[in-house]
Amino acid sequence: MYGGGNVFEAMKATALAEEDPKELAKFEARIDRGEKIEPKDWMPQLYRKQLIRMIEQHAHSEIIGALPEGTWITRAPGFKRKLALMAKVQDEVGHAQLLYSAAETLGKPREQMLDDLVTGKSKYSNIFNYPAFTWADSCFISWLVDAGAIVNQVANSKGSYGPYCRALERICAEESFHLKYGHHCVIHLATGTKKQQEMMQAAVNRWWAPMMHFFGPSDKISVHSDILMRWKVKMASNDECRQQFLDMYVPKIWELGLTLPDENLHKNLETGMWEFTEPDWEEFKRVINGDGPCNKERLAVRRMAEERGRWVRKALLAPKTKYVAPLA
Amino acid sequence: MTLKSLDPRVKRLGIPEEWDTPLSPKETLDQFENYEAFIQVKEGKALEHVGPVHAPNEEMAFLFAKEQYSRRGMFCNALCVVKTENIIGTEFSDNGISIYDAVTAQPSGIENQSYEVFHLLKRGKQHKYVGTVMAKDFEDALVVAKHTYPSQKPVFNVWIAESEHILTSNEEDKDMWETLKEKQYREAIDYKGQDRIKAYKERMGQA
Amino acid sequence: MNTEALKDLLYKIADDQLILGHRNSEWTGFGPLLEEDIAFSSMAQDKVGQSWQFYKILNELGESDPDTVAFMRNADQFHNCKFVELPNGEYDFSLIRHFLFDTAEGIRFNMLSTSSYEPVAQLAKKIKGEIKYHTMHANIWIKQLGSATEESIGRLQQALDYAMPYALGIFETSKFEADLKQEGIFDGEEALKAQWLTQIGEIIAETDLRMPEIQSLQPQLGGRYGEHTEHLQPLVEEMSEVFRVDPTADW
Repeated sequence: MYGGGNVFEAMKATALAEEDPKELAKFEARIDRGEKIEPKDWMPQLYRKQLIRMIEQHAHSEIIGALPEGTWITRAPGFKRKLALMAKVQDEVGHAQLLYSAAETLGKPREQMLDDLVTGKSKYSNIFNYPAFTWADSCFISWLVDAGAIVNQVANSKGSYGPYCRALERICAEESFHLKYGHHCVIHLATGTKKQQEMMQAAVNRWWAPMMHFFGPSDKISVHSDILMRWKVKMASNDECRQQFLDMYVPKIWELGLTLPDENLHKNLETGMWEFTEPDWEEFKRVINGDGPCNKERLAVRRMAEERGRWVRKALLAPKTKYVAPLA
Repeated sequence: MTLKSLDPRVKRLGIPEEWDTPLSPKETLDQFENYEAFIQVKEGKALEHVGPVHAPNEEMAFLFAKEQYSRRGMFCNALCVVKTENIIGTEFSDNGISIYDAVTAQPSGIENQSYEVFHLLKRGKQHKYVGTVMAKDFEDALVVAKHTYPSQKPVFNVWIAESEHILTSNEEDKDMWETLKEKQYREAIDYKGQDRIKAYKERMGQA
Repeated sequence: MNTEALKDLLYKIADDQLILGHRNSEWTGFGPLLEEDIAFSSMAQDKVGQSWQFYKILNELGESDPDTVAFMRNADQFHNCKFVELPNGEYDFSLIRHFLFDTAEGIRFNMLSTSSYEPVAQLAKKIKGEIKYHTMHANIWIKQLGSATEESIGRLQQALDYAMPYALGIFETSKFEADLKQEGIFDGEEALKAQWLTQIGEIIAETDLRMPEIQSLQPQLGGRYGEHTEHLQPLVEEMSEVFRVDPTADW
């Protein structure tokens, strides 16, 4: 599950001047033809760096994203929900595995990425720094956070880097189960007993602001995003993703008798665009920089998992092992 | 003091509120080797590359690949794993050119080693298994493959591995790949909510 | 057919699978490597799914519906052995438990596949593939870690010594052993235990681990008839926390 708001590498104006112009032209022509770039192909340093950064953030978001819903894994009500939530959280870990592998093809070992996650050097999606207070929160995440992630992932799956696209295709196929499962859960709560309805509405109220943050702030038009778009690293702007999400899901939320905590939220029928109260981007920044309700817990859990697993990994390491990145 | 959490599982881990030391960085080798996994989606179809797993050895790679790439079992009939370093890949070609065009040598005629060959027929898609060749070494295997498995479409990339480096699922373990219908809870199709929404709307309309 | 005897058997199997499946599911996200998180979760799902199937058979025999049975009882109404309710501890204990329990599980279901009670025989045959995977997974891990480093061998040995009296509790004699055998429903706990000792002995012999002196151990019994450790009641309360908010609601 991952939204927009990627933190991209700062770019120097001279970065491309250092690349071989002939290779660069071949590379760009290949992308223009709609062909995928594969790990052994020549690629500009900048392309490699930005992709590693983006895929790594995506992978971290999956593994950290397993935690808020995991909060309810031992408490899901009834067999069907219990099994489904187990399978869903398992999928998130599986997605992390797929994405770390895709990033590895670009030359950064997985263990190094996991280190960078725990030390706070690299980021993950902000939304997972919020707590899942009740069962209904986990239902909101399964349905709507996954829905937001799908909007973003479907766009990215049409990008230029082969291994990332292949990983995303698998991921999107599994996310369709998440989305249906989550929707099913929310339908049952929203149309259920008074207590269930209240529980669901309270969760919607809590998660709406983080959900609006999920896609990231408006992209500023810049050389930066221009070149990332041209190379098909970034496939849609944050605003486009947010609009698409609102268009697809606000009606579905409303039809369940749920309200959204933003009285300015409406679709402008003339422009066809959704209008809403500007999200609090100061809070977004604060949370990204570590000061959210659960940042500390999320990283501490990952660190604990690393520490507790160390003896297992150490026991099985073959001393001669040399690192070989995956092929595709 | 242990870390507070809403997750009962996390509470049981007894994570300290503050760590005394920073995380000791991983030793460079604290990472298992990569294995590439291939899956046959159904009887009669070619094995197809699905992705890598990290594992300490071949047997575990096999177990891990089974769960990572085939836990929705209706997509899997058989599986094999190969250690990544044991696969030799050619360069990639593009724009309609076959990588075999650059292979001009003739087969050596020495057939003392068995190799498995995989082709990539479309950039961005998966490598697919084409068959076995007998040859002297990797380069020779590529040459033999060109003659044994001619392709109508351009082949953009070839992977070759020694047959003995491949661990394949056993015929007698076929039952491991069956997915029970009780596992439908893992599939989108198992979740239908429209009737409930309709009933709710009718109820609200009446109210 | 002696329905009481049959229910006694089905309840203990169902409760074992549910409680251990629940425990195993706690690992998702916390395991020693990502691939193992995924593998462990699948086995947790298999077990919970199997328990559901057994509760459905019980339901057909007149017991309440599976959700009510699983989520509305208190600890003293559960028939699982104490072994499965123990907290996960570290990966060493979880793995040893997985190995000891799942070996027994494999043999039990194999025995049940020829049971005279057709629904159970069919179910046992149906889940054969799942069970095969569980034993394969356990054996590979034990062989690996049981002969790797001083630390891994030491940890597994300690876990094994601690776990063994509890594991012996799996085979607590049923009040209905004779009836079950006589009617061809199940060959009995003694027969199961004998096969189990041979099988785990074979695997342990391939490692640097030492088999504990079984004769000198006091098996941890009582679980089959509602006597449990202090860990089960909190587990049951946690598992049913949401369900019990409104047991009549549709979740």
